[in-house]
Amino acid sequence: MNRDKLTIKKFHEGLKKKDFSAREVVSDYINSINADSVVKPFLSLDEQGAIHVAEEVDGIIARGENIGPIAGVPIGIKDNILMEGKRATAGSKILEHYIGSYDATVIKKLKDSKAVILGKTNLDEFAMGSSTENSAFHVTKNPHDTERVPGGSSGGSAAAVAGDFSLCAFGSDTGGSIRQPAAFCGIVGLKPTYGSVSRFGLIALASSLDQIGPFAKTVEDSAILFDAIKGYDPHDATSSKDEYGPTAEYDEEHTRALTLGVPKEYFREGIDSDVADAVMNAIDVFRKKGFSIKEVSLPHSKYALSCYYIILPAEVSTNLARFDGIRYGRNSEKNSLWDIYKETRGRGFGDEVKRRMLLGTFVLSAGHYDAYYAKAQKVRTLIMNDFEKAFDTKNEGVDAILAPVTPSVAFKFGEKVANPLSMYLSDTFTIPANFAGVPALSLPVKKYPLGGKELPIGFQIIGKPFHEKDILGLGMWYEKEVGA
Amino acid sequence: METPITKETLEHLIELSKMELDEAREEKILLDLRRILEYFSELNNVSTDTIAPAVGGSFNKDIVRADESKDVFIEENLIGQFPKAHETLLCVPSVFEKNEDI
Repeated sequence: MNRDKLTIKKFHEGLKKKDFSAREVVSDYINSINADSVVKPFLSLDEQGAIHVAEEVDGIIARGENIGPIAGVPIGIKDNILMEGKRATAGSKILEHYIGSYDATVIKKLKDSKAVILGKTNLDEFAMGSSTENSAFHVTKNPHDTERVPGGSSGGSAAAVAGDFSLCAFGSDTGGSIRQPAAFCGIVGLKPTYGSVSRFGLIALASSLDQIGPFAKTVEDSAILFDAIKGYDPHDATSSKDEYGPTAEYDEEHTRALTLGVPKEYFREGIDSDVADAVMNAIDVFRKKGFSIKEVSLPHSKYALSCYYIILPAEVSTNLARFDGIRYGRNSEKNSLWDIYKETRGRGFGDEVKRRMLLGTFVLSAGHYDAYYAKAQKVRTLIMNDFEKAFDTKNEGVDAILAPVTPSVAFKFGEKVANPLSMYLSDTFTIPANFAGVPALSLPVKKYPLGGKELPIGFQIIGKPFHEKDILGLGMWYEKEVGA
Repeated sequence: METPITKETLEHLIELSKMELDEAREEKILLDLRRILEYFSELNNVSTDTIAPAVGGSFNKDIVRADESKDVFIEENLIGQFPKAHETLLCVPSVFEKNEDI
């Protein structure tokens, strides 16, 4: 069994044919994590729990009973998703000793499906960052070039899958935190429609934008994982009751009938020419095979970055107020309540978190609210309207949009740390889909084997709300076409 | 957009956010915030006079639910995270300071 050749589908078939046991495969992944001292995608491991579930799955197979599509599948979980009784640090010193007090709905679904959770993966502190350099614990490296970042904030999850330390993983995407690391690491990442996957048990960054989604080696695997976690959850008020069937079944007729759009504004400024060329070549693959492709306009997307870094810090300053040294662990011996707040937060939060909280407090404060926060929310409306118009198929609109994920390939460690604004710019093509709430798939333009000495480039397929089937279908078609 | 953020304003924000920053970090963050806020001035180019602000990200039209209590959480797991607890209550230092004049 070669881990690098394994997909969820192949693993499932191999288990059923008894080519290997779940325990063997899970042990192999755990051994690879323990033997690694370079990439370091994980913050904590649950070896005992993982082996226990793998043995349960082997028992089910031995009894001749059926197993579900992700039973026994080794999975990494971003460390901002709660698991009962397990550490949940969110990559922050302030939660270094925090133990999850309940299972996130996504975790419950994975456990019910008998998936094997290997452990918790590294991330930028509270998911704030684009390189995983903001983790309070250690740096995770890009398996394709260990001098470069894996992307962020879900860099641990992306590096785990790309480096074959985990068959698949989950992360969260607030402004590109699944799609950007997937692109940097040459794997597939899906940000689902806002409301399609429960956020219950996800440590909030910006509640109006956060979504949990999968990392995998193929689009088909991403669809299998999405099917496993999607659905209404009464514990999340923004969870949607929209029902849609399985997305993992590829529908050739449906997919080939989809009309595609290319936003002209995404290829003009701020994108490296090699990235733009690679994405254009990917678009040409669709064009040459007869897909209907037209130019669309998303004129306000260029303002998304400014809006994001107003709205997100505003939500951050509110969401992170709860970490006060009173309920989630204390790092202060002071006697006064105010001093406990200040010392715990002063010692517990890193620089980027502090910067964003201060920015958020500023844009929400009296005298500045209208100029920044209210203005950004109005421009957000315009960004959403652009997508609505582009997807209005009754009026010359399209079914899906093809676009770049990142303006450049993975950058080197330390390259953008000193200038936060330059770091923020790496989110420029991913943020608009979060504002519009629409689903977006990040997939590599071609297969990037480890050791191939090429830095991966990805492209996005953005769909209508609750139309994951469209973008996953297009992704599956593309993978078959280019042999990815 | 507006005048650059001042050192005094930053210190007020640090107080409002209930955090501590050393002098060197304060200097760096002040420069970062000025640069970031200056970048936001591009939003002045967008006419939004007739545009309603966006609210939230949800596609749901109706999120009202019955006002029923549900035992979602395991009490011991939550209380176990408190630095100090008395039975099921969370212990915190006094919120009000003693005023000897009263």
